[in-house]
Amino acid sequence: MDFDGLSVDQAPPISAPIRFFLTAPLFGVLAGILIFLSDPQMLTSRYSIEAITITHAITIGFLSFVMLGALTQMLPVLAGVKIFKVDMVAKISHLFLSLGTLLMIFGLMQDYSKLILASSLFLGIGFLVLIIPMLIGLKSVANITASVRAMITSLIVAFIIVLMGVHLLSSYGTGKFSDIHVLLANIHSVWAVFGFAGVLIIGVSFHILPMFYVAPRFKRFCKQSVVWLITIGLLLWLVLNMFLDSYTLIAKIWIALFFWAFATTVWKKLNDRRRPISDVTIWYWRSSAVFMTLGSFAWAINDFYDERYIVIVSILIGGGFILSIMLGMLYKIVPFLVWFHLNAKGYMSIPTMTEMINKNLAKAQFILFIISLVGFIISFFILSILPIFAVSFIISMIILEYNIVTAVLVYTKTMKTKPDFDMSMYSMKIEG
Amino acid sequence: MSTIKEYLSTDHRRCDELFANMEDKVSKSIESAKEEFELFAAATEKHFQMEERVMFVEFEQKTGMTQGPTAMMRHEHAQMRNLIQEMGSAIDAKDKDKFFGNSETLMILMQQHNMKEEQMLYPMAQQHLSAESQRIVDMMQAIVVE
Repeated sequence: MDFDGLSVDQAPPISAPIRFFLTAPLFGVLAGILIFLSDPQMLTSRYSIEAITITHAITIGFLSFVMLGALTQMLPVLAGVKIFKVDMVAKISHLFLSLGTLLMIFGLMQDYSKLILASSLFLGIGFLVLIIPMLIGLKSVANITASVRAMITSLIVAFIIVLMGVHLLSSYGTGKFSDIHVLLANIHSVWAVFGFAGVLIIGVSFHILPMFYVAPRFKRFCKQSVVWLITIGLLLWLVLNMFLDSYTLIAKIWIALFFWAFATTVWKKLNDRRRPISDVTIWYWRSSAVFMTLGSFAWAINDFYDERYIVIVSILIGGGFILSIMLGMLYKIVPFLVWFHLNAKGYMSIPTMTEMINKNLAKAQFILFIISLVGFIISFFILSILPIFAVSFIISMIILEYNIVTAVLVYTKTMKTKPDFDMSMYSMKIEG
Repeated sequence: MSTIKEYLSTDHRRCDELFANMEDKVSKSIESAKEEFELFAAATEKHFQMEERVMFVEFEQKTGMTQGPTAMMRHEHAQMRNLIQEMGSAIDAKDKDKFFGNSETLMILMQQHNMKEEQMLYPMAQQHLSAESQRIVDMMQAIVVE
């Protein structure tokens, strides 16, 4: 019997998700450096090249990397999907996305059109080479649960926003901007935040919270309808934005309301959880709930201020909500993957999950991250202090990378030794 | 009448409850948590055996798949038994860190295992064994843990 691939049969090789997880914090560091070097005044407008560049260093370089990496792992487990040649497509996707993101950053910064055009091509390939096989795999799922529906919705939205993104980015390359450039940019960003990341997070949390923390299950109504309701909200927002601009607030409130309700539900479920453990992952869930609550109100209220505070909204929702959850999940997924793959290969005397990452360093990383977010918001009003928080953000990302590398090193070091294959483990009572 | 899928999925939730009780007790006082640990360990072992000695066997006989999903699930049961054993010795040694290190690992392993069963194996089993569903549930209920 092939023990080596047995229990990991449905899971991809560890390298598929891990390569994304190891790269994400590096883009976080790069984003921090870019913030540090930027003119703070330029970052107060969402349409400045600096703001666009930094936003994408985070949204592609960090958030998308973590989401795609996690999806390669979650699709087989949550939905039973086998992604076509997952190891190969993950490798290609990772390579193209890494190069594409770097080219995009430097192309936009240097206003070098060939680099920008190349980056839009690379990013398009990098995303689609993974998104398309995932969607094809999801087509054959017989048992469509609320989480599966959320993942399908999220990936369809991802497909659309990638195409929009490629178009928008190439406009910077050619220097020709269509009449609907700003409209497309708006749709691209709102759908990316709420449709791709938001719906994915909500769908996955239906499973994660009750499972990992033994929190009360989500109500059937909530699981069945929330993804539909958000999708309707996003479509409504799209239509209003295109034809009845002055009424978009209605759709915004609609969307914000469900995300706020979700944030409140997360908070309550964590309060009612049965597991007594409180670790950094819980802190991240809680911080994301708080930031999402503030962010959803800020997004709606921002309308009354002529969208002046959209950068703050982005920090609250993009950094406070989405990034927080991604960070929290990394602290659970990475040690588990290391443990799981080593154990499946017959290594028994290995550290447990909680021993792989230094708890104090994880806490330090969390605290620095939160300080940075709050600092970024304050810096919107007091521009001169921005570099301080850029530095704290850089340090938090370096610590994060160190924490992930520490866990991965447990894997690589152990793999160099001989497995202490304990055959007694397999002498199961099969027959009575 | 409950189906195989419903019966075993409900039993997963019961084990989760016992798991949470056990962790709660250990966090308060590891010295007096032996009873909660035994309850959890016994319920989980019973669940494994209901599957390994009844449902998996029926499934394998009906489908002829002996090296498929059931082999994978048996392997994960072995991994979990190992962790549960480690948790037991951590309680005996009154070593909270060792206990929670293993319980955290078990929790995630157990949950993704349950998910695979509830998403894939149980629906498959229910489909193939629907005619004998009640008999199999009765047999699982009646099992005496060895």
